[in-house]
Amino acid sequence: MTRLILRRLLLMVPTLLLVSLLIFMLSEILPGDVARTILGQYATPEQVQALNTEMGADKPIVERYAAWLGHFVTGNWGTSPITDLKVAPQVVDALGNSLLLAGLALVVIIPLSILLGVLAGLRKDSLLDRGITISTLSLTVIPEFVSGVILLVIFAVTLKWLPVQALAPPGSSLPTRLYYLILPAIPLMFIELGYIARMARVGTVEVLARPYIRTAVLKGLPRRRVVFGHVLRNAMVPTVTVIGSQIGWLVGGLVVVETLFGYPGIGKLLVDAAKTHDVLVLEAGVLLVAVIYMLSNLTADVIVALLDPRARQRA
Amino acid sequence: MAEPVAAGRTAAEIQANAAGALERRRQRRYLVRALMRSPTFMIGTSIVVFWILMALFSTSFMQGPFDVNPMYTLQAPSSAHWLGTDDLGRDVLARTLAGARSVLIVAPLATLLALLMGTTIGLITGFYRGITDEVIMRLVDVLLALPVVITSILILSLLGRSTAIVIVVIGVLFTPLVARTVRSAVLREREHEYVMASRLRGERPWFVMAGEILPNITAPIIVEGTVRLGYAVFAAATLSFLGFGLQPPSPDWGLTIASERLFVQLAWWTVIFPAIALASLVVGVNLITDGLGRVFSK
Amino acid sequence: MSDVVNEGICQTGAPQTAAVEVRDLEVTFHRRGRDLPVLKGVSLRIAAGEAYGLVGESGCGKTTLALAVLRYLAANGTVDRGEMFVDGRDVSTLSEEELRKWRGEAVAMVYQDPATALSPAMRIGDQVAEVFRFHQGLNKTEARERAREALRKVALPDATLRRYPFELSGGQQQRVVIAMALAADPRLLVLDEPTTGLDATVEAEILDLIEELRGRINAAILLITHNLGLVARLCERVGVLYAGRLVEEGPAREIFTDPRHPYTMGLLRCVPRFGMNKSDAALQTISGTLPALGEALQGCVYSARCPMVQPVCIRREPDLHAWPGDGGQWAGAAAEAAPADPAAYSPHHASLVGEGLRHARCYFSAQVPEMPLTSPVLAGTKAAGPEGGGDVLEVDTVRRSFRDGRKKLVAVHDVSLKINHGETFGLVGESGSGKTTLAKCITGLIAADSGDISFEGKRLKPTAGRRSQAALRAIQMVFQNPDSTLNPAWSTRSILTRAVRKLGGVSGSAARAKVDELAADVRVEPRFLLQKPADLSGGQKQRIAIARAFAGDPTMVVCDEPASALDVSVQASILNLLVELQANESVSYIFISHDLAVVRYLSDRIGVMYLAELIEVGSAEEVFNPPHHPYTEALLSSIPTLDFDDPHQRIPLRGTMPSLSEPPSGCRFHTRCHRILGDICVEQEPPIQEAVTGHTYKCHIPPDELLQLQTATEPIAPIEV
Repeated sequence: MTRLILRRLLLMVPTLLLVSLLIFMLSEILPGDVARTILGQYATPEQVQALNTEMGADKPIVERYAAWLGHFVTGNWGTSPITDLKVAPQVVDALGNSLLLAGLALVVIIPLSILLGVLAGLRKDSLLDRGITISTLSLTVIPEFVSGVILLVIFAVTLKWLPVQALAPPGSSLPTRLYYLILPAIPLMFIELGYIARMARVGTVEVLARPYIRTAVLKGLPRRRVVFGHVLRNAMVPTVTVIGSQIGWLVGGLVVVETLFGYPGIGKLLVDAAKTHDVLVLEAGVLLVAVIYMLSNLTADVIVALLDPRARQRA
Repeated sequence: MAEPVAAGRTAAEIQANAAGALERRRQRRYLVRALMRSPTFMIGTSIVVFWILMALFSTSFMQGPFDVNPMYTLQAPSSAHWLGTDDLGRDVLARTLAGARSVLIVAPLATLLALLMGTTIGLITGFYRGITDEVIMRLVDVLLALPVVITSILILSLLGRSTAIVIVVIGVLFTPLVARTVRSAVLREREHEYVMASRLRGERPWFVMAGEILPNITAPIIVEGTVRLGYAVFAAATLSFLGFGLQPPSPDWGLTIASERLFVQLAWWTVIFPAIALASLVVGVNLITDGLGRVFSK
Repeated sequence: MSDVVNEGICQTGAPQTAAVEVRDLEVTFHRRGRDLPVLKGVSLRIAAGEAYGLVGESGCGKTTLALAVLRYLAANGTVDRGEMFVDGRDVSTLSEEELRKWRGEAVAMVYQDPATALSPAMRIGDQVAEVFRFHQGLNKTEARERAREALRKVALPDATLRRYPFELSGGQQQRVVIAMALAADPRLLVLDEPTTGLDATVEAEILDLIEELRGRINAAILLITHNLGLVARLCERVGVLYAGRLVEEGPAREIFTDPRHPYTMGLLRCVPRFGMNKSDAALQTISGTLPALGEALQGCVYSARCPMVQPVCIRREPDLHAWPGDGGQWAGAAAEAAPADPAAYSPHHASLVGEGLRHARCYFSAQVPEMPLTSPVLAGTKAAGPEGGGDVLEVDTVRRSFRDGRKKLVAVHDVSLKINHGETFGLVGESGSGKTTLAKCITGLIAADSGDISFEGKRLKPTAGRRSQAALRAIQMVFQNPDSTLNPAWSTRSILTRAVRKLGGVSGSAARAKVDELAADVRVEPRFLLQKPADLSGGQKQRIAIARAFAGDPTMVVCDEPASALDVSVQASILNLLVELQANESVSYIFISHDLAVVRYLSDRIGVMYLAELIEVGSAEEVFNPPHHPYTEALLSSIPTLDFDDPHQRIPLRGTMPSLSEPPSGCRFHTRCHRILGDICVEQEPPIQEAVTGHTYKCHIPPDELLQLQTATEPIAPIEV
């Protein structure tokens, strides 16, 4: 098992390098004049020149990239020329906020989706199945800002059951902070619900059709044992894989939800940085997100290996 | 042994030919009929068709979505304005109906781009395997490591925000997913003996890919295409909401929701109706996907 | 073939004494609004401890019967009429809870493809222990102990408990499944194609195991299979099922030596028996095709294909009558009777079943032994002699390996052979022997790592993509799976036209004519050419595949198990076709098959492969008779035959097939050889011995000694594992 983890971590490195290269190219090379991009069209040529020198824009690309990468790895993410704040604490704080929001959404929705998906799969083509499938399908395809807006209007504006803003007053306890995050978390939950439930259902249906389930039933095992001992374990394999890869869309969802509710998470930070051309924040933030995404995939793969002994042999 | 065939076709051959053609037509009609019998497919199609018509024709019969009217800002729904007016006095109904246009241009074109590029890449990597496959799939993994929305805003913020760029960005970012699906389908087909037989005839690789394998994977490609279309609508709307798509005064739904949300506590109608419209379109596309998926899997 | 005559059979039938009793069972499947009758009034009776073989081809309903008895029919299958009793209990009256207990305790099932029958993520020990925990309420430790015992009973070591299914070989997996089935000591054990897909030697081991277990358990056995030899080996009684109807039934030995139904006779005739050769006679085929599942048939279900059919057969379906009995009288009486309603199946004379008598459902049982032949006896089709001498194909020290993770598997190890013009070279071996890889190297689908392959004296490029059009035209291949051998998206005509254009080099009207000619040669009617492959039957698809291979007038065709995926009655016609084409077109064949009787029938020369090496080459006659390589000897002994009087004895091979990544030292076969000499076999690679000119084998035992050993009459003592 440890060998598997180590091997996957090792494989992550080249991919991460390529990703960081891509980000670097997009941010600093593609637009042409980096400093101009950051400072905008109204800056004077002298200011542009000064920033360029400071950022080392006159040096060869490889050197710049290596320098940037080195800084990133050591945690020296620089200071944003736009906000004059150090990048690292900005990004890390924002990430913390986002993790709280995402964590809330995932902790609630993962068990619920799996439950609904497996139920639907066990009772395939029944009314319950069609009901679950159609409702999760409909909820999952609605963009987060759409469901967010609708929920906002209904629950916060009209019924006034939940607060309009997502950020709790400073110094609030954890439960209070979570309370404020209920409304923003729901659109995220809706999106994830569909994917996870669908995969759980598909996994369940596929497993039920397998001959070893027939063996288990004909062995005379009680239904509960068949489901929990044989069906679930194998049906979870594709489901866990999907959850891992869904983190990518979850981040996108965070961007939207945080913008909609004005919540200072990493999503909002990146959007603002994109609008203000705050290249340093963008680079650091996107790369950090990519790292987290790959780690979540790795975690999913490890869980799959735990569930399915055959997977431990492969790759 | 067969008798010497006279020049031209015998009567029996002609009849058999006609029977074959009739059989093919019958099979195609069966497919269409199966689709028509699926309620999800029909509902989805009606919704999408409705919005296509609105995108094309709504401005001809509705009062202008751009008609600013400072006198009647933020009016609640009334007989004059069925869905109310927005902060600039514009009719919400008109804007909502016209808002479909931008999404229905961007999303299908982006999807088409992704399908074309993705299918090509998927065919090549799936067929050749080996080094080409490893390298390209590694690049695909790299692209997939970047969440679509984040990467889009990164690129759009730096390259500008024209519709064309949005289409290209979404298309390129969706290509890896299409490529992956096509690649798995190709890998499956490749093991079939008819592919081996064509190699034994000395067929060129492009012939095997395009002539032998491709016709057998059209079903998964179509399904993948409609799935991508749903996501493309999603992505396009999200981008315009975040401010990276079209610019005001476009009646684009995402943009409208973004700009009107400040007034949500005063005038919920400015935000709800575009939201419902967008939701209905996305649900419609996904119902089509669901219906197609079911029919093709039979 | 034990001739256990159980008391239960001889008594007139109180159902309580029988292990299983089925009466007038009718099962229908409902698919897309249509009702397909799958089982039409089937009755049978299995006494306690008896082994009953249910024989039939695909679509006859044999698996459905088993699933119906187990009450595990799919949701769209219903039991319309009839009763099923196991151990006297009416199965249909069981409640859900009773059913659960009853499964495993009263009835257990073992089926095909053991790999998928075991839960992949659960250890073997846990899976077996489950039965004990939930049926007998034992706790974990006790259940574990019982599981260990159960595995010992099927000769599996204790270490297996901790393994996962994918770590075991096919034979080992099937043993586990059998152990699980027998765990709760059921009254009835259902075996549904238990050895299909397993190697011949592994199959023999499993059969040995079942035979041995029979002495120790009380269960009655229902063996469902299409393989008549299996039934002959294991079962006392047999029932032949066709289109959902039992057409013949009785003691196995009698039925197979003296069949009294045209279908049974047809089946027996179309299987090549040992010693038969293509130059002796063509295989007898059964005309027509198998009826589709649930097809409604008028009169006798077999009438459409019966060579003895008379008008009365179509007018009224015969009843299952006793044999010898008054079968002949039926014809006369029935001829007068009004046509019966085809939807009503005549009630079965249940009391007649299981009484040690035979039954046949035919008006003309008396005439069955003289049933007319369907294929003309061919004058000898001996291989055309080499034209002007020279070989068609020469394979010289070819080697090919694969990489699996970090391991290197040598699939073909220094194989050399020669093939003459117009001859059929049979290539025989079990899984892992390398025969398919060798075939792919020869045709160019895979590139050999080293060694040469020459065609008519000229070296061939390793991959097909690099070979000249002439080389491609000359060497073609027919594949195993009829469902994937033709491109489903193309019409049959397009497939052949493309082949004709590419390989034959003609186009336009010449191509069209050639396609028609090819279709006629393989006996496919022109109207099928316009259809897509999905609309053709398995046999027709394979014929088109053969036509495609012949599109460019090849000199050699590699046939990789061309008939293995087809039903027995269809196989014969495909094999006959291949023989005919060979005679007319003067092609050589490399014929790969796991079915030794078929290989013997078709081949002029044979090569035997074991673990990537060619261990024996010679004429068919030479290879199949002593002196021959010990592996060949064991392989031949493991085939279940229909020859009840053949005293050939079973030679069990010990151990399992070694892995290709670590082949044994010295002689590769030494780990399992029953004639191992000693250290010399472990340390030194054996030389190539020549028994007679052209017959060579790799062994340390010289030919004279080998001949003496192999013709001795003392039984061979089984070697301790």
